[in-house]
Amino acid sequence: MNSISFGRYVNYDSFVHKLDARSKILFLICLMIMIFMPFSVWSTSLIFSLIYFVLLIVLMIMSHCSFLSFLKGILSMWFLFLFLIIIFIFVPNPNMSSVLLYQFSDNYAIYWDGVYQAGYIFLRLILMMSLTLILTATTKPLDLTYALEWYMTPLKIINFPVHTIAMMISIALRFIPTFLDEAQRIMKAQASRGVDFSRGGLFKKMKAVISLIIPLFISAFEKSQQLSDAMEARGYDPNSKRSKYRKLKFHLKDLFSAIFVFTLVGFIMYLSIAHGNIDVIDFVFGVKVGF
Amino acid sequence: MNAISVKNLTYEYEENIKAIDNISFDIPVGSFVSIIGKNGSGKSTLAKLLDGLLIAKSGEIKIFDLILNNKNIKAIRNKIGIVFQNPDNQFISTTVEDDIAFGLENRNIDSNKMQEIVIDFAKKVNMDKYLNKEPSNLSGGQKQRVAIAGVLALNCDIIILDEATSMLDPKGKEEIRQLIVKMKQENPSLTILSITHDIEEAYLSDYIIILENGKIIKQGKHKDIFSNLDELKKLGFETPFFITVKQELLKHGYDFSDCENINDLVEKLCQLM
Ligand SMILES: Nc1ncnc2c1ncn2[C@@H]1O[C@H](COP(=O)(O)OP(=O)(O)OP(=O)(O)O)[C@@H](O)[C@H]1O
Ligand SMILES: [Mg+2]
Repeated sequence: MNSISFGRYVNYDSFVHKLDARSKILFLICLMIMIFMPFSVWSTSLIFSLIYFVLLIVLMIMSHCSFLSFLKGILSMWFLFLFLIIIFIFVPNPNMSSVLLYQFSDNYAIYWDGVYQAGYIFLRLILMMSLTLILTATTKPLDLTYALEWYMTPLKIINFPVHTIAMMISIALRFIPTFLDEAQRIMKAQASRGVDFSRGGLFKKMKAVISLIIPLFISAFEKSQQLSDAMEARGYDPNSKRSKYRKLKFHLKDLFSAIFVFTLVGFIMYLSIAHGNIDVIDFVFGVKVGF
Repeated sequence: MNAISVKNLTYEYEENIKAIDNISFDIPVGSFVSIIGKNGSGKSTLAKLLDGLLIAKSGEIKIFDLILNNKNIKAIRNKIGIVFQNPDNQFISTTVEDDIAFGLENRNIDSNKMQEIVIDFAKKVNMDKYLNKEPSNLSGGQKQRVAIAGVLALNCDIIILDEATSMLDPKGKEEIRQLIVKMKQENPSLTILSITHDIEEAYLSDYIIILENGKIIKQGKHKDIFSNLDELKKLGFETPFFITVKQELLKHGYDFSDCENINDLVEKLCQLM
């Protein structure tokens, strides 16, 4: 259950919670672009990553998210990171001047570049995921859906069913917990009839899973039929004009945050594009650190 | 005037298996009618036919002065609200307030007015403290109350309750029953059609229609139906608790036949003691 609650909306009244969902999505995209702006000197990249990290922690404190639970959640995907690290360590970028770190055998060696690349990717991934999780933890799923619908509004011109898709997403969000409950109930019912979900060979396990999936599907069809009846009975018609109970509203907060985010991202982009090879340590302290 | 008028209605899910078999009845405006029948007798099918969720094979349905057809279906749905059996599968939105607002959104009600209406009707069903709660955090009875608020908010003239209490525990059942009675008191012109196989619920209504295998086997006023208890028993229905109590008291020599409801009876009993 831990992995499900992680990244879920947490009801709180912070500054970040109060921002409009549309601005938060835009900020997320901007910040992700910022994180991926490249710098050619490795120490500069590292320093910027550390700055982003500090900013991230400030953001987390502001939005009342616990960094530890985030870290736990992210580390539960350790296999993904392990995979990435191994790839980057053992497959060095041929364009870089490689300094040998350790020679296993004639064919296998670890280079500095690989280690540095892996570490850098690791940091950036954590930054990106944490930002996304801050978005989902501070924004009601329904508001997120409405915000996405708002961004997709121009697509209505080409007859893209924007409203229908938003409605589908919000119904899916509504029914995910119901289905989890249902799955658990069915599992208990089948277990009481002697189906064992944890032991046995592959064939036995497949049979156990099928005994879960078939009743789940039947119940899903029944649910969807009843749900569509209920929606129709309450006058739902996707093609006619509907008003909205929840209105997204931009506030002054959004404006100030936008000014801050755009300035920051703009500055980093300028640095990366115009001075991509800047060596921050040399620039500030006049010391060359390299290898 | 009749709120609902049904003539020779027949419906088949599959060829030649009649779920509803040539039935006719009239329900006057402002009445509280129960349709009772066993599992599979066609009660839900009838409810869906009345709201145009299913289209009859033959026969005519008239809601006030509108005949149910493709042209009138929207106008008719504006007059009828249905509360279904399963509390979970009719909770459409992610929170209580959004769910009450769902029907209002469909009617394109102005957003600024909606908030007031939502709070107003949440209060009516005693759910105003739960406005931003998710369905997974509510009891079955609470979810049904939200469904009722969603229907009431639409200002319908007819409310159909399709076994709205059958999946609830005794406490939830009682909550909904009291709510129905309150609804009726607050708005006497509201027509209520309660579909149920619970005789206690049918006992609250003033007209009863008994359905079996898609046919009406008996219909009549409250008094007529509950004065012939043996026939009711033959049709497979228990005697309502209130009547049983009165009968038992009569056996012991106490005559309370002039008591209309359980409150009267309790009062009289207390006076005796
Ligand atoms: N979708 C369907 N397809 C085919 N047959 C159906 C369908 N729904 C109901 N039936 C059949 O129609 C008949 C009447 O069903 P209906 O659901 O109206 O009964 P009900 O009185 O509401 O029963 P319950 O008390 O179980 O809710 C039953 O014989 C049932 O098997
Ligand atoms: Mg039914």
